[in-house]
Amino acid sequence: MPTGERPLSPPPRRGSRRRGPGLLFVLPFAVPFVLFLVWPVVQGVWMSFTDSSLALRDTSFVGFDNYAEAFGDPDVWSSLGNTVLFTALSSIPLVLVALVMALLVHSGLAGQWVWRLSFFVPYLLPVTVVTLIWTWLYQPDIGLGNELLTTLGFEPVGWLSDEAVAMWSVAALTVWWTVGFNFLLYLAALQSLPTTYDEAAALDGAGAWRRLWSVTLPQLRRTTVLVSMLQILASLKVFDQIYILTKGGPNGSTRPILEYVYDVGFTGYRLGYASAVSYVFFALVIVVSLAQLRLFRQED
Amino acid sequence: MSFSSSAHEASATPGSGPAPGIGRRRFLRHGTAGAGALLAMSPLAGCSSPASASGASALSVWDLFQGGDGMLMNDMIKAVSQGPEGFRIDRTILDWGPSYYTKLAMSAAGGRASDVAVLHLSRLAGYAPGGLLDPFDLDLLAEFGVTEKDFTPAVWSRTKHQGRVYAIPLDVHPFIVFYDRKAAGQAGLLDAEGELAPMGSPKALLEAGKALADVTGKSGILFGHVTDTAQSWRQFAALYAQTGAAFTLPDGGPAEIDTDAAVQVVSFMQQLFDGRTNPNNLDYNSALAGFLGGRGGMAMLGEWELPTLQKSGIPLGAAPFPQVFGRPAVYTDSHSFVLPHQSDPDPARRREAHRYVARILKQSLTWASAGHIPAYQPVLAEPEYAALKPQSSYADAGDVAVLDPPNWFAGAASNFQNRMCQPLQSALLGNTSAEKAVRQMVREANTLLRQPNPVA
Repeated sequence: MPTGERPLSPPPRRGSRRRGPGLLFVLPFAVPFVLFLVWPVVQGVWMSFTDSSLALRDTSFVGFDNYAEAFGDPDVWSSLGNTVLFTALSSIPLVLVALVMALLVHSGLAGQWVWRLSFFVPYLLPVTVVTLIWTWLYQPDIGLGNELLTTLGFEPVGWLSDEAVAMWSVAALTVWWTVGFNFLLYLAALQSLPTTYDEAAALDGAGAWRRLWSVTLPQLRRTTVLVSMLQILASLKVFDQIYILTKGGPNGSTRPILEYVYDVGFTGYRLGYASAVSYVFFALVIVVSLAQLRLFRQED
Repeated sequence: MSFSSSAHEASATPGSGPAPGIGRRRFLRHGTAGAGALLAMSPLAGCSSPASASGASALSVWDLFQGGDGMLMNDMIKAVSQGPEGFRIDRTILDWGPSYYTKLAMSAAGGRASDVAVLHLSRLAGYAPGGLLDPFDLDLLAEFGVTEKDFTPAVWSRTKHQGRVYAIPLDVHPFIVFYDRKAAGQAGLLDAEGELAPMGSPKALLEAGKALADVTGKSGILFGHVTDTAQSWRQFAALYAQTGAAFTLPDGGPAEIDTDAAVQVVSFMQQLFDGRTNPNNLDYNSALAGFLGGRGGMAMLGEWELPTLQKSGIPLGAAPFPQVFGRPAVYTDSHSFVLPHQSDPDPARRREAHRYVARILKQSLTWASAGHIPAYQPVLAEPEYAALKPQSSYADAGDVAVLDPPNWFAGAASNFQNRMCQPLQSALLGNTSAEKAVRQMVREANTLLRQPNPVA
């Protein structure tokens, strides 16, 4: 340890020295962060005030025109509504089902690793594979879904063709696909809980349900807040599975706001307007995040 | 084609051809740096032939031909790469669909696009006015043996913008009907020569569906449209044009659409696909699979499905989309060659691009085997084409071609087609009435017309 024996430098110099290497360590993160996140965000704000086009070089400033158009565009509102609907339809089961699955596995079911594996494996599949599988499950004539229904004597369902059903189908796919991650978070939390409270409650004669409700779940509260927060933000970002599965149809009933941004921006070339729409959405995400942050603080 | 096939051929460079002649190599040594950069984007560039090491760069070509089409294009490129006058082609195949047109527009806006690209003729209105394309030099093309006379007026008229020609059509690819010759024969739908007899009225097509359903014991006519972003528009556009009504979208709007004719067409489509005789809830793949599996006697599809259907062993017949209203009309599009805009084009490379387009057109017979009707008319006159069955039985479809309205937002893989398909899909599924669907189509068209044009 010869370096530790070195005489200390005077305080002001020490401070500057510390900052130097510190910045160096931050640099590998900071440079891509500024280049690929901060700068595009700033650039995007500027673009949203122009008539920037994918196919033209010269752009001109149009003030708040894009925003005015966005607020008056029924497609913005309907696709925003679809995003919110999807978030509700997917987030609630994604939290609850994950919790139930984690509780079941934690309760000491035989063959633990089989359950852990089978609950988590879908999460590892790429989105294209998942949607291809489910496209066939949802086939009206030869799909497994309608096959089961008709065998059981029910009417077949237009899984992806009925405007009232399509979003539920997308949500079901998403739950199957991504529930494994939340399950893992819950399971990890359950396994790290101290067993003392549970044992004490059992000694006092509390039944299994009582202990679950009054001992285990309250201790999982912070995990639930974390899982819900991550889930809502993830669900708001929905795009890929819907784009591959339904392209936003039938009749726009599954088109999320991000697909609308993609449609106007990349298929319709109107980058300026697409930027404005995405900042309207950005505002919504900020509001949701702030609300959640407050909730999180209250938990503390 | 309508659905992207899973065959992902990122790039294919015909490397088996002999090394290009010295004369051409000298020609291409002056290739621009921009084209060199594009060349570098292709993963196979530079490893195809030792000639690339000498600095001469190949002609870069972009297209969206995947699967069977992609392989045929490969054969054609191979053919024009042979001999002392052969080309060295660096081909980039991109995924069919909206993203192709995003990439093509971006490359042209940047001024460093490929030397030649493929564009659906229906997209020309979104490309030529904004300067995304450079015009062809007709004198140069004539020098290589291709002139206006080699194309039908219906198609040629769509290649121009402000009097200049921006696209040279390779094919015409109509939306047609395929039928099972055996089933159609039993249903009494064939003429004396064993081809599908003309329909002539909506009632005749409805009855043909019923007769076919009786024969197959399942369904009559199969049509996949659910979650598809083009199919129901293709069918609507064909039938609507048959009524003789105009579908005009003047800049700034409002859309000039004959709503009575449109409602008549949508009602007919609803009657035809009633969910009993002819299923109304199929998507593209299940309609195709159904026809291949004998669950229907007729399928309404693009001719590009021909190779798939031929392989199935069905006694396959094909015919232009049946005329049921007042005048013949078939919905089509056309794969065309264009010169994407380059800021600083090299005249020698441009000359080579013209020569390449002319040479490929003369290979159209190969292209026809995929089902496409060659746009280059001299090929149609060849006896080899007449021998191609069932291709030659719908060759007339090119004469009554109906393309998308010439607006910047319309055309293959566009938002316009997608937006038209949504109400049509609802109507076919029985979720909405024909009147409501047409009202929504007009509304959607007006919304698109109100938007500022991002390409001009």
